Parts: sequence; structure tokens; C-alpha cells
Amino acid sequence: MPRSDPGHEHEAVLIGRIQSGETELFYELIRPYERRVFVIAFTILRNEADAEDVAQDAFLKAFKYLAQFRSESRFSTWLIQVAINEARQRQRKSHLEIMRPIADQENEDGTYTPRDFTDWREIPSEALERKEIREKLISALGSLAQKYREVFVLRDVEHMSIEDTAEALGISAGAVKTRLLRARLMLRDLLSPGLDGVWATNSQIPKGTKPWS
Amino acid sequence: MVVACEHVWREISNYFEGDVDPALRLALEEHLAQCPRCQSVREGMRNVIELYSDKAMFPLPDGFYPRLHGRLAYQVGGRRISRRAWLVSVGVTGALAASAVCAAALDRFVPRPLSEMSQPARRLPQRLVAIVDGGKIFHVPGCPFMHGTYHMVTAEEAVREGYAPCTRCMRDALRSGGKVSPAFEGEENAGGATEGK
Repeated sequence: MPRSDPGHEHEAVLIGRIQSGETELFYELIRPYERRVFVIAFTILRNEADAEDVAQDAFLKAFKYLAQFRSESRFSTWLIQVAINEARQRQRKSHLEIMRPIADQENEDGTYTPRDFTDWREIPSEALERKEIREKLISALGSLAQKYREVFVLRDVEHMSIEDTAEALGISAGAVKTRLLRARLMLRDLLSPGLDGVWATNSQIPKGTKPWS
Repeated sequence: MVVACEHVWREISNYFEGDVDPALRLALEEHLAQCPRCQSVREGMRNVIELYSDKAMFPLPDGFYPRLHGRLAYQVGGRRISRRAWLVSVGVTGALAASAVCAAALDRFVPRPLSEMSQPARRLPQRLVAIVDGGKIFHVPGCPFMHGTYHMVTAEEAVREGYAPCTRCMRDALRSGGKVSPAFEGEENAGGATEGK
């Protein structure tokens, strides 16, 4: 689907100039997405060093195959596809799929029922400044099946649209919505205090208290 | 329209996306207003979305950008580092490292003098120095610490005869590789005889 926003047009101009030999403009082209590519690779691989390596590989591959980029897509979506493919390849090479969460085999069409109904309204703004809180959140996300992690990180971490998320992952918008619902509900359950989720089992936070209280 | 809790849980994500039609939205909000369980689900999901949307959630590793750009530079080239520049810099660095290693190796086998004063044997054998009559020290001619009459001999000869170098003027001469300071040079040239006054 053709896009006509100014950012897309600017990227199209940059890509044309890069293909004409102004290769140093590639840095400008990828600058807005450097962090995003790392975060997506990290979400899939759950390892910082591997994610950094894959991010570098993804940018190199994007440069190498820039001529194959079709301007009817967003460059960012295409780049994310490249990064996801690189991360999945790395995962296969590392045999990480053997260690995938049990939830990977879950049928996403089944209705997910929330397990916890604790009042969870308070959320201090400085919570993420605490490293252990961040680690718990990353751990909770890492415990989800990969298909949920991918959708969640693209939509809720990187704020990509439902349509772009679907295109990047090669799935339908309906599938994105279904996975997003389950990912959000599962994370809510995992992070809600008082459950046998990551907070209660892996932390020293007393059961029934909020993790940041 | 009346909705049950299960319906709310199915639609709650779309509700946050603004992806429900107005009639359903109204029904969901009416249900939520009176159902603490569904309120808990809504607030929990809202917190999840807000927590993970924070950039601080996924800090980049230290040095991420320099490493990325350094690796890209090999293929992309451009203003940052071209491949040729990289190769040249690697070559120069390698040569410098090799010379440093050689210098360090040589340094191990060539004994380093224990003091500056132990070097004149190679450097000053032909140099004329002044020995004050009755003294035990030899000087660069013109040394302000030299008093009385003196005679000139070569440095090698002075050392062989047991004279010690003046710690002031000879230190300067040794530091400058055997050259005397300009203050002494005129007198040295003016001397030139083997016998002084």
C-alpha cells in the first residue's frame, strides 16, 4: 500500500541517494531505528550480546540488500522484517527453540481468562528507575511465547501500528489483535501482585504486596 | 446492549486500541463502572501498556552505538571511516605496535646505564675537558664551578686517570648528547689549547 507521509518520502529520497553512491547517508536512514532493531532482537533472543550482534547483522544485511527494498512498504517495516529474520535464524542456530516456553504450544484461539483481580491501580512513575523492577518486567515478557512477545514488543514497546506489526510479522491484523490481547492479559497476570507469577515465585517481594511498594 | 465479564475480557485490548464501535464501547463502560473484577483487568492492562512503553525498559548496552557504527563502517564506508582509511589505520597501528615490541625487546638486551654519569665513555672520548690543577674533577671548559688554573685533556683520559665529572656542567653536556650549553661554548672554542692559564 503506497504511503505518502513526509517521513516516508524523506526515506525514499535517502534510499535513492544511497543507491546512487552516497552510502554515508545510510547512517541517517537507520538512525531512527537503531534502538528498535536491538529491542526486537533482544525480545526474541532474550540475550543482550546476541541481540546486539543480530542488530549489527540486520543493519549490514539491510545495506547489502537495500536495492531489493520495495518502496510500497515502509523502510522501517522492511528493516524490522530483516531483523526478525536474523534473530530467528540465530535462534535456530543456537537451538534456542528447544528451550521455548510451554506457552508456545498454546492455542491462541482459546479464550484467555484473567487469573487475578487484585486492585492494581497504583503505579509509581519512578518504578522503572529501579533496576530490579525492569528486570522483573523483562523476565515476565521473556516468559511469554515468542509469538506473543513479538507482537507485544512491536505494538506496545515500539508503538508500531497494528497494520505495520502485521506486515512485519507476516500475519493478519486479526491475528495481531488476538495475540496482543493475550500478551497483555498474560503480562497483567504475571505482574499482578499476589499470584504465583514471576513476582511471587522469583522475587523476594512478599506475596500480596505490590512489587514497587 | 448488555455485556458479560467474558465479553469485556475479550474486548478489553481493542477497547484500549479504540477499536470498538460506539455501541459496544458504551456497553463496556457501563459494565466496567459496576464490576470491580473487570476494573482490575482494565487497570492492570493499562499499567502493563504504560510500563512497557517507557524507553527506560530496554536500556541499550554501553558502547552499543560505537560498536554498531564501527562495524557498519567496513561495508558502508562514508564519512565516518572508509575501508581504506580503516586499512591504513590498521597498518599504521600494526607497524607502531611492532616497533614498540622490537624496542621493548632491544631494551631488554641492551643494558640501561645506571645513571647519566655512566654514559660519557662512548660519547665523550674525544672531547676536551678541563681539569683544575690540584682538583679531582673535570669540567666542561667555562663551567662556573671551575676555579683556578686548569689543563685540558680528553674526557677518556680524565676518566682513565681517575677524575670524576663535575655534576653540574657534565650533566648538562650529557643530557644534550655531548653538546655544551651556549653559555659554555664560547669559552670552549676560545680555549682549544691543552694547557690553560
